Amino acid sequence: MSERVRNVLIVAVMAVMAIALTLLVSTRPADVDRVEEIGSRIKCPVCQGESIANSPSPMAEDMMDLVSERVAAGVPDQEIIDELLGSYTGAVLLDPPASGSTLVLWLAPIAALAVGVGVIWWWQRHPGAVGDPPAPPTERSRTRLVVGGVVLIFAFAGILVVASNSLQDRPAPASGAADLADQDLTEVSDETMEAVVAANADNPQVNGMRLALAERYFDAGDYRSAFPHYLEVAEDPDATAAEAITALVRLSWMAYDGNDEVETATRLVEEALAIDPNSTVALYVKARVRWCGAGETDEAVTIFETLLADPGVDPETRARIESDLELARDGEGCP
Amino acid sequence: MLALLGTAGVIAALIGSLLLVVRGMRLTRGMEADLKSPAGLVLAGALVAMAAMQIALLSDDFSLAYVANHHSVATPFPFDAATAWAALEGSIVLWGLVLAVFTWMTARRLGGGSDRLGAAAVMVMGGVAIFFFGLMITVANPFEVCVDALDIGCAGSSAWPFAAVDAPANGPGPNPLLQNHFLMAVHPPVLYVGYVGLTVPFAYAIGALALGTPGPEWLRRSHRSTLVAWSFLTLGIGLGGWWAYEVLSWGGYWAWDPVENASLMPWLAATAFIHSGLVQRRREMLQAWNFVLVIGAFALTILGTFLTRSGTINSVHSFTQSAIGPALLGFLVLVLVGSFTLFAMRSHLVASSPRIETFVSREGTFLVNNLLLTVYAFVVLIGTTYPLLLEAFTGTQVGVGEPFFNRLAVPLSFMLLLTMGFGPITPWRGAAPGLLWSRLRAPTVVALAAGLLVAVTVTRVGWVILAIVLGIFVIGVIVGLLLELAAARASRSGRPLLVEVRTVIGNDPPFWAGQVSHIGVVLVAIGIAFAANLPLHADVELAPGESVEFAGYILTYEAPFRRDEPNRAVEGARVIVHRDDRRVGTLEPRANFYPGVTGGIVTPAVMTRPDGDLYLTLRNLDTETVELGLDTSPMIWLVWLGGLTTATGGFWSLSARRRRQVIEPKPVLADV
Repeated sequence: MSERVRNVLIVAVMAVMAIALTLLVSTRPADVDRVEEIGSRIKCPVCQGESIANSPSPMAEDMMDLVSERVAAGVPDQEIIDELLGSYTGAVLLDPPASGSTLVLWLAPIAALAVGVGVIWWWQRHPGAVGDPPAPPTERSRTRLVVGGVVLIFAFAGILVVASNSLQDRPAPASGAADLADQDLTEVSDETMEAVVAANADNPQVNGMRLALAERYFDAGDYRSAFPHYLEVAEDPDATAAEAITALVRLSWMAYDGNDEVETATRLVEEALAIDPNSTVALYVKARVRWCGAGETDEAVTIFETLLADPGVDPETRARIESDLELARDGEGCP
Repeated sequence: MLALLGTAGVIAALIGSLLLVVRGMRLTRGMEADLKSPAGLVLAGALVAMAAMQIALLSDDFSLAYVANHHSVATPFPFDAATAWAALEGSIVLWGLVLAVFTWMTARRLGGGSDRLGAAAVMVMGGVAIFFFGLMITVANPFEVCVDALDIGCAGSSAWPFAAVDAPANGPGPNPLLQNHFLMAVHPPVLYVGYVGLTVPFAYAIGALALGTPGPEWLRRSHRSTLVAWSFLTLGIGLGGWWAYEVLSWGGYWAWDPVENASLMPWLAATAFIHSGLVQRRREMLQAWNFVLVIGAFALTILGTFLTRSGTINSVHSFTQSAIGPALLGFLVLVLVGSFTLFAMRSHLVASSPRIETFVSREGTFLVNNLLLTVYAFVVLIGTTYPLLLEAFTGTQVGVGEPFFNRLAVPLSFMLLLTMGFGPITPWRGAAPGLLWSRLRAPTVVALAAGLLVAVTVTRVGWVILAIVLGIFVIGVIVGLLLELAAARASRSGRPLLVEVRTVIGNDPPFWAGQVSHIGVVLVAIGIAFAANLPLHADVELAPGESVEFAGYILTYEAPFRRDEPNRAVEGARVIVHRDDRRVGTLEPRANFYPGVTGGIVTPAVMTRPDGDLYLTLRNLDTETVELGLDTSPMIWLVWLGGLTTATGGFWSLSARRRRQVIEPKPVLADV
């Protein structure tokens, strides 16, 4: 067999194999896990840079459950993403769109590649010959270099100045939170509070405002918006005992009232009671959860009685406990 | 006492660094000066500082604020020793020590009074050392004494070593994630050798520019340090991925997290530099480009340190809360402006370089590889820093995560693999089409056959098939070349082929060591393709005694368990694993509870099998049931093996010297 014939045969074999491979790969039934795919594109609001698909945090799991539900219901990807971004503060798209402020992210690598190819092409067209003695620097080129260097230094200095200025122009985080915390918060809009809370996420002083904001959502029945803030406070080791108890108690109530998760609710309120076994609000919520959720009427009655024995309970709460106790003793379901 | 010792060490090292710069300046001007003793002083000072830190940690000396805030009596070995680099101030001591060792080794190899380049390099390293030891006595002082003790930890400290000590009885201990796995004791030092090692080629480059001698001399002399740095960086990145996989319980090893990106960027730049440096040493090309790359690689290590150590990643606003951020950023700007100004002033000396005759040549493939690696590094750089810049300047929050990086990095990685297949078989200066064809046809057929085999028997997922085809192509090309060269020798000498294989490798160990690294990269690529595309996942809830079938395994939840360890309490579920009716092991997914830390640190249980890992994560455990996350990571061990192989290539290249200058034996060229 001549060399030429052999080569043609080899090329033919390669072509057949390549075509077969392409066919095999392209006829594979698509089995993209849409839930994982969508999850990997959303940043978990309470984590550092992790997607909700990767994060083990309860909030991320909650969000993934939502994604599963929506995917099962046949909602298009974009609508699911919009819903997540809309209803969870701090959730950000990890997959920046090629438009607006993130367009440059996509253009820059392409531009870099183009510049690289351009430089190589230019270098091929204008090479210095091998062994040429280097051109001695002329007076002009030296001046140009000095001017260039100075301009460069000033440019960097300018950027630094602008950078530090714009960093300072922003609402100064720590002091802003403290100022606002001293203010009458009723004057402040939800959006402002969200912004301040988000900007001061690492500052324990912000917990007060975070709770105030969460309480607003809670009172309005918007558990979904309230949830991340309570969670943040509950998980913050720097939160005060009172803050942690409030957050845990609210989380407990939301778990029961919003999701019917009695066990989770019990566990959360027990965590609050571990901090302060005499907390009125925690005891009251525990009684309600056990009574309404688990049907443990006797347990609730005992707790209500303990609470009424405490002289520190204010009259309004006392009245509520008394009416609840009456209903519970009569064996009626909770209101 | 230890505060005094440590501070004395830092000051001694600082004085040594200053002497290096002053005396280096005299030497580069042709005057006599001794650099070896100040380099020794820097090393001695850094060793004393590290020793003071270690003694303080191992003897529970809470009079040091750093120990009081990052150590606890219960922290077991080796985590107490590793606490020395678990937080900012301590990690800078480690950085300083590694830098001192490199400086000392560079100074030791100085060739007498006439060695102006070596003196200039040591001088630059002294300048870098001034910065880092300067940090240790100003904004990141690891030897401050505690003057305001809390019950646990320290609320106030003083840099004055004689201040009245108010030491707490105990401290909170290091971050639980850092004491959850032995790898955390090893990974940072390895990575730091990689980062800091890049100072050596940078110092030689700046020295060469300053002296106006941009020839290949600086490359030759910094080559070994570059390889040391690159090999350790490779190993460090691999260990980091392994640690994340074993500790962070999401079943992954790489999330394009800024901390990971900070180590990948210098690695990409250094990889490009190793290749382009070769082009300059062989063909006197790319002189200017090598300066740009090595300055870039060094600047990227500083940028990485700035990103990870200033807290900027967690919140742009923490930038101004500590002086370390502005200090590192200022140093970065100084390095960039200073280096490139010097480069511009010497550009008339470096601009001249010959043209490439044809792109179908070794230098042509290296040029393509450099372009790809540089764009790759740029993608990582912009993806990591753009959200920070945008938020700092406009307040707009954008997320840049895995989807963005994968979309750009995956095609770039495949293009690099392809280039890697062509590079080794393409001779310098240009290859005849006949030679290339003879070297390409067998590997191509083998690679396509391997792809078909996998497609028919294992999976038809496109990315996996592509990784297999390109990976086997690269390996095939390397093996083919080795056999071709050995066979040519064997037919002349009459000796057995295997003997000649050894001779061929022995003739040019650095080249073959490079090919070992290439094979390592291939293994990583195939491992990633499998683990990323074919994992299985399920969430289950089991009562004791219950079983579940998952991915060919039968998992039986035996019972919950709880045990106390010196520094933590461990709670978990014991799960028996069966496969093919045979018990293959017991797994204990668990949560570790550390004193003073709310909530448990969930730690996965991993079982490695030839076809991949079984990975169990504890989701919830109560008296009745356990909720478990079940995952498989197909072929994930290839990633670890590949990382190790890649680094091994680097180390081998260090230990071996080329015996002969011949790369292509005559008979092969005669074929052209």
